[in-house]
Amino acid sequence: MSVTPATMAQAARRTDARAAIRAPADPFAMVRRGLVYLLLSIAAFVSVFPFLWMVIGTTNSSADIIRGKASLGGEFFNNAVTFFTQVDALRVFWNSAFIAVVATALTLLISSLAGYGFEMFRSRVRERVFALLLLLLSIPFAALMVPLFVMFSQARLVNTYTAVILPTVASIFIIFYFRQATKAFPTELRDAAKIDGLKEWQIFLFVYMPVMRSTYAAATIIVFMANWNNYLWPLIVLQTAENKTITLIVSALTSAYTPDYGMILFGTVLATLPTLIIFFLLQRRFVEGMLGAVK
Amino acid sequence: MSSLKLTAVHKSYGSVEVIKGVDLEIKSKEFVVFVGPSGCGKSTLLRMIAGLETISAGDLEIGGTRMNDVDPSKRGIAMVFQSYALYPHMTVRDNMGFALRFAGVAKDQIAIQVQQAARILALEPLLDRLPKELSGGQRQRVAIGRAIVRNPQVFLFDEPLSNLDAELRVHMRIEIARKATMIYVTHDQVEAMTLADTIVVLRDGIIEQVGRPLDLYDDPANQFVAGFIGSPKMNFLAATIVEKTTSSVTLELTNHGRARLALPVSGGAVGEAVTLGVRAEHFGEPGAGEVDIALDIDVAEHLGSTSYVYANRGGEALTIEREESRNEIGMQTITVSIDPVRAYLFDARGQRIR
Repeated sequence: MSVTPATMAQAARRTDARAAIRAPADPFAMVRRGLVYLLLSIAAFVSVFPFLWMVIGTTNSSADIIRGKASLGGEFFNNAVTFFTQVDALRVFWNSAFIAVVATALTLLISSLAGYGFEMFRSRVRERVFALLLLLLSIPFAALMVPLFVMFSQARLVNTYTAVILPTVASIFIIFYFRQATKAFPTELRDAAKIDGLKEWQIFLFVYMPVMRSTYAAATIIVFMANWNNYLWPLIVLQTAENKTITLIVSALTSAYTPDYGMILFGTVLATLPTLIIFFLLQRRFVEGMLGAVK
Repeated sequence: MSSLKLTAVHKSYGSVEVIKGVDLEIKSKEFVVFVGPSGCGKSTLLRMIAGLETISAGDLEIGGTRMNDVDPSKRGIAMVFQSYALYPHMTVRDNMGFALRFAGVAKDQIAIQVQQAARILALEPLLDRLPKELSGGQRQRVAIGRAIVRNPQVFLFDEPLSNLDAELRVHMRIEIARKATMIYVTHDQVEAMTLADTIVVLRDGIIEQVGRPLDLYDDPANQFVAGFIGSPKMNFLAATIVEKTTSSVTLELTNHGRARLALPVSGGAVGEAVTLGVRAEHFGEPGAGEVDIALDIDVAEHLGSTSYVYANRGGEALTIEREESRNEIGMQTITVSIDPVRAYLFDARGQRIR
């Protein structure tokens, strides 16, 4: 190969690039990097501090907490005993877990079916129907809850698990999320499955669902947390103590004449644990799912 | 019987017609290649045969049975996709046996069939791997294996062999073509020439020509086929018919100083604007043909055994192939001759004048 000014310039650029990797030419690069780390540290602290305070609070008495004590104390067991004495924890956790698990499973099934359908089947009205669905996202729940209550009341479903679960299972946001994720699903896999003799429901069950497991994992975290933490609608439809969920119970504890904050924070930590466990179990898939990875 | 027949087949998406009436008969155990530029409808036609696209009008018969409304899995076809379309969550073994599982074949029979296909394709050591753990070539072999296992009457290939190494490609061609009819889609005419018993050239949803590879090369029906089949592409020179007898026409080349040559064809009319087609390898040494033309050289590529000279005159770009040539190095112009016996004539609509 002949050496021309152009090839020499190219070689020089490559050498410059290698030098830039070895030693940053910009003397302010370190300062800038330091600033970024500082800002990220502040953001991390602001995010983590409430949790930290909540956990520390479980070890302090109500009086200490009100005084603003932010160090570990020795009241943990007292707070635990008080909580378990006042609250039928097993029952409450069962209520929350049953509602969250069933609602999550149904939401994922129904919303992913809808997302799959919207993306896979061509129709002239498809985009209009989808736009209408997205428009419905703008209606606040507060505007829906009274008509919803009337409906469930007429259907004699008030104070049942069904009443809490049913309104959540067709989540527009999750349908949207699955439709977007389905865009990355290779249509040739569906074609191959058709040639292999699978019916549409079998393609969904045996090909789509396993391939989209990261999307399902991310959606599981989002939907499970939403259902576990759901407050307003259960507050309206669950009327007897034996049906109430953990969020309602913890909230009810704060309404006492002299709230026992140590005990309340203990309950809050307990209420937070399942969502944390789910998140850490599915964390890797959650990141993949949010990035829309189909592998 | 694994013959295949398309009769007046149409495909429309709303008001857009993409397949505009295709008639084609494919004999049993024939290797047919659909070739054409992007968007010509070759993949759509393949998908219609597979049952992945509905047929808007016309009939499809496989083995003498009308298949228009038959489920893809019951048409006796297997398809290999361009992207391989392997199920990413299944091992090679499960990918290959998946169709049989849904066809209700016994487990031990599935194992035997998968093992046989794996042996043909040298996939035995890879059977327990996931697709993501395989190289591109290995994935293609699995995709082909998945098709073989189903023992179909007709294999449909959507540009899948292009990355397969040459030896395996020949092996595959022999192994599969012995047993079944093959329809292969590609945009690569060299691949079509190499593999096919019969080539079907498509453009804008219609068949331009059907024939054996060398028939298409030697005797193209129109300017499109002439330009598409053969590498480098056929050269086209603007001309006008200035004289005509019952057995020949005399042309004047528009961009070459009104140079004249007579072609042994009976069609055409005096004064008609026509296009003269000459393949790169058919330009001769000066004085060897009926007429010489001088060209300005843009660039010359020397590949050792062959040289390609890219030249032009009057804005008309031409490619000239020369064997064992080093002479063009440093040259500004080149003079070549045209042999009328090895030239083709096309009318203004691109149809061959014979």
